[in-house]
Amino acid sequence: MPVMLPTVLRNLFGGPATRMYPVQVREPFAGARGQIEFNDDKCILCGNCEKRCPAAAIEINKDKNELVFYPARCIVCFVCAEACNKEAIIEVDKWRTPYYTKPVEVHTAKAKKDKAKENKVE
Amino acid sequence: MAPRTVAPFGPQHPVLPEPIQLKITYENEKVVDVVPALGYGHRGIEKACELNEYPKNIHLVERICGICSCIHGISYCETVERLWPLEVPPRAKYLRVIYSEMSRLHSHLLWLGLLCDALGFESMFMQFWRIREKVLDILEATSGHRVTQSISVVGGVRRDIDAEQEKTCIKVLQEVKKEAESLINVLASDPTVKARTVGKGVLTKEQAILLGINGPHLRASGVKEDSRMLGAQAYSELGFEPIVETAGDCYARALVRAREALQSIELQLEAFSKMPEGEIFERPKGRPPANEVTYRAEQPRGECFYYAKGNGTQHLERFRVRTPTFANIPSLLVMLPGCELADVPVIVLSIDPCISCTER
Amino acid sequence: MIENLKEITKDTLLQEVQKFADAKARFVTTVCSDLGDKLEVTYYFNYSPGVDMSAMRMVVDKNEEVPSISGIYLAAVLVENEMFEQYGLKVKGMAIDFGGLMLLAKDSPVLPMVKDKAAGGKGGE
Repeated sequence: MPVMLPTVLRNLFGGPATRMYPVQVREPFAGARGQIEFNDDKCILCGNCEKRCPAAAIEINKDKNELVFYPARCIVCFVCAEACNKEAIIEVDKWRTPYYTKPVEVHTAKAKKDKAKENKVE
Repeated sequence: MAPRTVAPFGPQHPVLPEPIQLKITYENEKVVDVVPALGYGHRGIEKACELNEYPKNIHLVERICGICSCIHGISYCETVERLWPLEVPPRAKYLRVIYSEMSRLHSHLLWLGLLCDALGFESMFMQFWRIREKVLDILEATSGHRVTQSISVVGGVRRDIDAEQEKTCIKVLQEVKKEAESLINVLASDPTVKARTVGKGVLTKEQAILLGINGPHLRASGVKEDSRMLGAQAYSELGFEPIVETAGDCYARALVRAREALQSIELQLEAFSKMPEGEIFERPKGRPPANEVTYRAEQPRGECFYYAKGNGTQHLERFRVRTPTFANIPSLLVMLPGCELADVPVIVLSIDPCISCTER
Repeated sequence: MIENLKEITKDTLLQEVQKFADAKARFVTTVCSDLGDKLEVTYYFNYSPGVDMSAMRMVVDKNEEVPSISGIYLAAVLVENEMFEQYGLKVKGMAIDFGGLMLLAKDSPVLPMVKDKAAGGKGGE
């Protein structure tokens, strides 16, 4: 075993390679794919994200002025964020925490609504 | 004649990360017959690839397998690009090589760890996985994810490696190289490891070719064949030379993979030094035309064969993946009969089985 | 475009494959695809060590029997079983016959890769 001696000695005097996870959490790398968030103020319901999403995690109801997002289907590929022209989808580097029931997020697109209102006033 | 016993090896077994069953018939301690039973991980990805639109398939083929994920994604894009055919910007070619080699490095380190685990060399298993973690960290820092990198799109790559990240990558790779060299030195010279692997599961060159095996498994039997020799992406500019061993036993396969891991660090460092500046993505014009192409890529586990047939729409008419383990499993039917029962785990592991790749 | 493609029929299949085996070529794989009323089967070979592939293509009716090449190349046994259960290509005399249960189970969709069949399963989540 003399060949392994340097490794053995290094491990004997070096610290552990792991960290106390729930207490100590490593900061995510910049640009890590964690989750997506929606900026309702900017969304105009153009449907680019719905068309490109490979996991069918985004549904758009134009008549209800709503964007429905299913986080449990999302594979965090960020294709939607790249496709969005209005920067309404925000790339977040923190992971989503586990959940007991599959959440469903309903977003009301405000940018679209305001425009509709303005049209009415005119 | 001694009584014969049939024992199931798998689907759940400590050396198998994924489910496959081998029905092993043995007589005293000698294996006499093997019948594989597959189908625990079949998901119908080939059919799904025909139903989906072609850009969405990238994320689907990346999920064929966890470890080979990155190269599956890159090769799918290479295959679909050949339908036009489409030229990728030079920097994107180099980035694809870097990501392929990085995933080969972490896959080989994983396998070397698993081999030590199968031999009962627990502490070495931990050491290999510890340095593998550094490779996964640079993958996450550059591409955004540890496992499913999703780095490639039809027409280029999605993310660039900037100067600062490049510096970190080179620093980490040199550390990994130093540590991996010392660990591989221990593994290759250890008498217990040699006693368990030398002369086990021998395949001669002629048998290897007739069985159609590929990858490190084939190169350990003395055949100089590697799909990277085709020179796709930037391999033609990197002076790549395949690694060959001649013994054809489990020890030779371990040495091929160990030396390939070190070679892949060299390839990455060379690719970083030669990488040109410029664009990384060019938008493809129109839809994939009606044409059919084949493409072969070198996965960590061997040669992976892709076939795509376009029909001028957003959908592919047919997409086929023949993964390396699919071709390597029949070699078990030749290697296992005649060996000791205690050697079965090591021989099965020596083909580096990846079952979810096999069944797609 | 597929390089070195040769059209054959099912009667000459075994002779042609034997030529490859005599020349010490490595069997790569077969690709089956559905042409509507016919099946198209392509066999790929590679001369080791080398980089160029050769291919042989035959078009057969859906209820025609095809001889198995697993007597010459044992490696073909898995892919022939796969073609049998995914496309219904009737391969005669396979070295190991899984009986249509290699990848699929008893309650799986029947012949899932045939074009007019639905994929089965619930989809989505």
